[in-house]
Amino acid sequence: MIDSYSILIIEDEKNILDFMARTLRSNGYKTITSETGQSGLSIINSQCPDLILLDLGLPDMDGNDIISSVRKWTSCPIIVISARAGEQDKVAALDLGADDYITKPFGTSELLARIRTSLRHSNRMASNSPLFIRPYKCQGLMLDFEKRMVTLDGKEIHLTPVEYKIVAYLSKNSGKVMTYASVMENVWGPFTDSNNRILRVNMANIRRKIERNPSQPQFLFTEVGVGYRMCEDENEM
Amino acid sequence: MKHTAPTTTLESRTLWHNIVSTIIILAIATILAFSFFHITQSDPANIALIYILALIIIARITTGYFFGIISAFFCVIFINWCFTYPYFKVSFAISGYPVTFVFLLTISMIVSTLTTRLKKQDKMILDRERAINEADKERIRANLLRAISHDLRTPLTSIIGSSDSFTENYAALSDQEKLDLVSSINEDSHWLLNMVENLLSITRIQGDTGRVRKEDELVEEVVSEAITRIKKRIPDIEIHVTAPDNILIIPMDPLLIEQVLMNLIENAFVHSETNRPVELQISEESDTLTFHVIDYGKGIDEQTIPLILKGEYHVPKTSDTHRGMGIGLSICNTIVQAHGGQISAHNHAHGAEFLFTLPKGDI
Repeated sequence: MIDSYSILIIEDEKNILDFMARTLRSNGYKTITSETGQSGLSIINSQCPDLILLDLGLPDMDGNDIISSVRKWTSCPIIVISARAGEQDKVAALDLGADDYITKPFGTSELLARIRTSLRHSNRMASNSPLFIRPYKCQGLMLDFEKRMVTLDGKEIHLTPVEYKIVAYLSKNSGKVMTYASVMENVWGPFTDSNNRILRVNMANIRRKIERNPSQPQFLFTEVGVGYRMCEDENEM
Repeated sequence: MKHTAPTTTLESRTLWHNIVSTIIILAIATILAFSFFHITQSDPANIALIYILALIIIARITTGYFFGIISAFFCVIFINWCFTYPYFKVSFAISGYPVTFVFLLTISMIVSTLTTRLKKQDKMILDRERAINEADKERIRANLLRAISHDLRTPLTSIIGSSDSFTENYAALSDQEKLDLVSSINEDSHWLLNMVENLLSITRIQGDTGRVRKEDELVEEVVSEAITRIKKRIPDIEIHVTAPDNILIIPMDPLLIEQVLMNLIENAFVHSETNRPVELQISEESDTLTFHVIDYGKGIDEQTIPLILKGEYHVPKTSDTHRGMGIGLSICNTIVQAHGGQISAHNHAHGAEFLFTLPKGDI
């Protein structure tokens, strides 16, 4: 592969850094590594990687500062690596502009899947291809953005306007986790209440309409304390 | 050094409290005595009774002897000054007055002594109870630590052994053997991770109050995430969920309840020794929600369950050390209790059932 993607890994634990770099290289990515935030930032500025894997707990600077300073000038996808207990940190990082997160410890397949999704999304943004208005399809669920229609196994599902807005927003960003705040802002506008109860209730209703088994969902996944993730669009797999 | 300042403020606060309450009670007694004296024009004996009552109250609510005795002096002189002839003059010449004086003083001293002793005893009892509580907590913590170290050692031994034999005998091992070694390392590290996550979850419970930070959560989201995570770890597990159709939103710490569900479901799968699906039933009562985890396996020993839940159960030496069911369950118990709920377990006709409740409203 001549034109393989370059991925920058910023992580202070040497063992984890080595393991990730080895995995990514053996899967055909070019890797650049950095053990500190400072050198990571200068690599981003000089080499413009295609994707950044960023550990939030760096010794020399706050991971969130890196995200906000990178977001000032590039939309290069950032995947945050964080510890399990800190939902607040994840939400903060996502709201600052990180694209996705992965929780330590993670398996290689999970890591690769997240990277693929994020790269695909960034490509789509860059090329502005007609993909965006192609219907969303996943395991029998279809969402036609032009007709504003949702069908499951060919049968039409009636959603209220608000429910449709939520589903449309999530499926346009399928595969990525969307925080409560970002869904609220997109559906109800920027000046909504910070209480997300109304979103939860709407989601519960949507799940009852779309999911074949609401307690073991196939399409709409909850990341408790963070937000929602919609099953990846089959068109893009 | 750090403690000096708060203690002095505390002392000055009790001092002020004592002075103020003494003055208030004496004032009330005086007002009562005056109105009594004017309405009935009776002799000062009844007035002395009013003051005796006031003295008893003062001795009860102030600390130490000092205020009781001061008040006794005040009463004696005040009665003399106001309520006995000659009015508004202090005179010790009235017949029997020295007797009243001595009596009032003695009563006040005795009551002060008694109440002071009573207060000391109350404090001692409280202190002793606190010490017993503390010792109890300490014992549970020590038990947990002992069980954890024992449980952690087993997978670590296997990980260290497998990786050692991998590096030392690399050339001699067949590909299959290498694969086996690495997958057993992988399996054991997953088990360790599970244990660590359980332990971490306990740190989310606030130490001193034993309470958790609750937020309104949709029950089905917590349940579905628990199931998704457990399926990631045990792909062939089958779980049937039945829940009420309405939308259930109750206050909880979602990560902790997820941990409880995962522990119970995993226990049901591992310890029932059967392939029949695990059932998760959610039922709604007037002010609680109950989660039932039901398996169709060999059942449980009902005698040991309360001990396991309390974290007092010691694994018999013969039982297989894998899979310390004890820690997981005692952590479930801690979490559910911190939410103000109850956890229990019993056998049904074809297996075991673990159930826990969560209150619907905030408590």
